[in-house]
Amino acid sequence: MTISRIEDVQFGEELPVFDPDTSLDNVKRFAVAAGWNRPRFTDHEAARAEGLPGALVPGIMSQGFLAAMIHRWAPDAEVQLVDTVFRAPVVVDLQYHINGVVTDIDEEEKLIEIDLTLTNDADETRVFGTAKVLIG
Amino acid sequence: MILDLHAHSIKSDDGRAKVQNYCQWISTRKVPIDGFVLTEHRQFDFESDYSTLAEKFGITILKGAEVETEYGHVLVFGVTLALTRAFDFANIHLPLALVLEASEQHNAVAVPCHPGRVRVGMSAHIDTYGIPEGVRIVETYNGGSRGNEDQIAQKMAEEQGYLGIGGSDAHIVSHIGRCATRFSHDISIEAELTDALRAGDFEAITFRENA
Repeated sequence: MTISRIEDVQFGEELPVFDPDTSLDNVKRFAVAAGWNRPRFTDHEAARAEGLPGALVPGIMSQGFLAAMIHRWAPDAEVQLVDTVFRAPVVVDLQYHINGVVTDIDEEEKLIEIDLTLTNDADETRVFGTAKVLIG
Repeated sequence: MILDLHAHSIKSDDGRAKVQNYCQWISTRKVPIDGFVLTEHRQFDFESDYSTLAEKFGITILKGAEVETEYGHVLVFGVTLALTRAFDFANIHLPLALVLEASEQHNAVAVPCHPGRVRVGMSAHIDTYGIPEGVRIVETYNGGSRGNEDQIAQKMAEEQGYLGIGGSDAHIVSHIGRCATRFSHDISIEAELTDALRAGDFEAITFRENA
């Protein structure tokens, strides 16, 4: 189900969970497309040599996943802000889940706020944030 | 009575939650806590008055602080104007001994939080500075813990004879109440909270599924 009117949004409403493709191939494609092609994102060994747990999913790619998740739920919405706090590395080739839930509704301004969390299989939060979204 | 003893609002630099939305979330989602303590980073929020919200939602809202020491982060409950003059809450290099001593002198209670976490937790600094004197309570359940951070905290508490509290460390609305502390008596003001903490009449609890 997609959302197009703010009247249809409820406080506490959960967006469909999204499991992003964090495979090395996908991250490599993104890194090249974004002009941010560095070994720490595209090569596990090179990343470990830097003291990282493995190649990292670029932060801007995680933010893209978050924004895309919102647009899948509300295709015509205007995502005004995705504000993220990176708490722990998001490692390439590991499984993650993105959850979103509506935590504020301003019907007058047609603005909602969404809590966003990117977690691993152990339910540990790696990235959290909020989005401000204008819905028609 | 169950209180989440560790939460941040938009008053903290990395907090994204409005207090009103915490209340709305607890009420709508039936989060099994009776209230929470706002422990803003490196400051005490004297100006905000949440009494109207607390009354509207039937939720206890108290205020504390989270300060930074050489042993990592420390929650302070029962903050007064006099205590904020005893040391600089904004200083990120506070001596833990000063925070503990000043808190004791001003009837406040200082509690190292997420002590099992690297860099910002107490256990990470014991090899360097030794076991600190004067700690009685640590946070043994933290809603933001990863890996075995809570287990490290619990092991340290057991070995050192510390009591444990729980807090969500929520920075966004939907994380409030993930961990909390159960008290046997009602608490409605900060002085009652510090009395209960000093009496040791509490237990840390978690609502996280994977804890």
